[in-house]
Amino acid sequence: MTGLFCPEPVFRTKIAIEKMQVGEVLTVLADDPASEDDISRWVNRNGHELLSMKKNDNVLEFTIKKVK
Amino acid sequence: MATKTESDVSVINQIGNTPLVPLVSLTKGNVKYFAKLEGHNPFGSVKDRAALWMIKDAEERGILKKNQSIIIEPTSGNTGIALAGIAKLLGYGIEIVIPEKASNETKKIIESLGAKIYETSDDLCPKVGSGTDQSIALATSIASSRPETYYSPNQYANEANFMGHYKGTGPEIWEQTEGKVTHFFTGVGTGGTITGIGTYLKEKKPEIKIIGCQPQQNHLIQGWRNFEESAKPDLFLKRESVVDDWISVTNAEAFGVVKEVFEKDGLLISPSSAAVYASMKKYPIDNGHVVGIFADDGRKFKSVYAQQNVMSEDEFENNLKLAKHVSKIAYM
Repeated sequence: MTGLFCPEPVFRTKIAIEKMQVGEVLTVLADDPASEDDISRWVNRNGHELLSMKKNDNVLEFTIKKVK
Repeated sequence: MATKTESDVSVINQIGNTPLVPLVSLTKGNVKYFAKLEGHNPFGSVKDRAALWMIKDAEERGILKKNQSIIIEPTSGNTGIALAGIAKLLGYGIEIVIPEKASNETKKIIESLGAKIYETSDDLCPKVGSGTDQSIALATSIASSRPETYYSPNQYANEANFMGHYKGTGPEIWEQTEGKVTHFFTGVGTGGTITGIGTYLKEKKPEIKIIGCQPQQNHLIQGWRNFEESAKPDLFLKRESVVDDWISVTNAEAFGVVKEVFEKDGLLISPSSAAVYASMKKYPIDNGHVVGIFADDGRKFKSVYAQQNVMSEDEFENNLKLAKHVSKIAYM
């Protein structure tokens, strides 16, 4: 999702999660600084689990587990 | 038998020149009332005009390439239907970003016209706002990161939306009333209709009154904006001064006149048309020719009217068979 801006990274994350089975894990790479808040907030609000969030230079790497 | 090209052109050529019909239920003494039935556009609403003018403008500026470009647009309904219908006829891809709470009937029509739909929810990016504002942000982000493929007309800021009414609907109303129009009523979504028609009519007759209809907060009037809860669009702000007066209208007032208009005028109207009618009904006018925009007809609102206890689905179907001025819609 690098090169994309809010709300597209969180929208693409939502679509990917909807297609996954409960228990599966998704890795998201995003370079829009707004993604840090938007993706982590969306994951928590929708009851999924943010396993980790790492910053490598300008790229954010989210690891998200589908919980329900 | 018509070739594909001939039939395409014939549908596009049917946009505009909609009927102006008298509203006998409101007409009294020295005041005559009329409705401009925009549901008679081929894809069923006033938005056919903006969609066609925005696409033609982008073609003229060399932005769109046939069988290559994708048009993407945020919309809660009629613009999506109009763009989908027209874009496909003219050979462009079409993607529509729509709030998930938009009506299922509308989403089905847009999909049946061959558009890809993205549904947005209010929790995506809270800082951009709610409803259509989420859809606007997503469409902007998709289009701006892939400018070689995507074009977003952005009806909220596109001058061609204004021009469709300034050069089309405004002159039509002037000619249909033989210059007698004194008051003009419409709602505001993008502001294209009120500023386009208002600017034209004021050039012809500066004393004409342009009256904007404002829905209540948390309204159910598809396509309209309440300016306390939503920002004024750029297109509206450019010519905001054309509006002489505002009148507020509640959901209850709008839904409350739907049956009355059917019984007295024989028209099965949409919620936004009902809101215009309710506004005209309560606004004090002693003398003149009053014109209101009925942006679409009631056919997409069967389930809404059942939910709002306006009429049951069976009653709706019966009324539809009896209704006057029901147009032929290209996707039906």
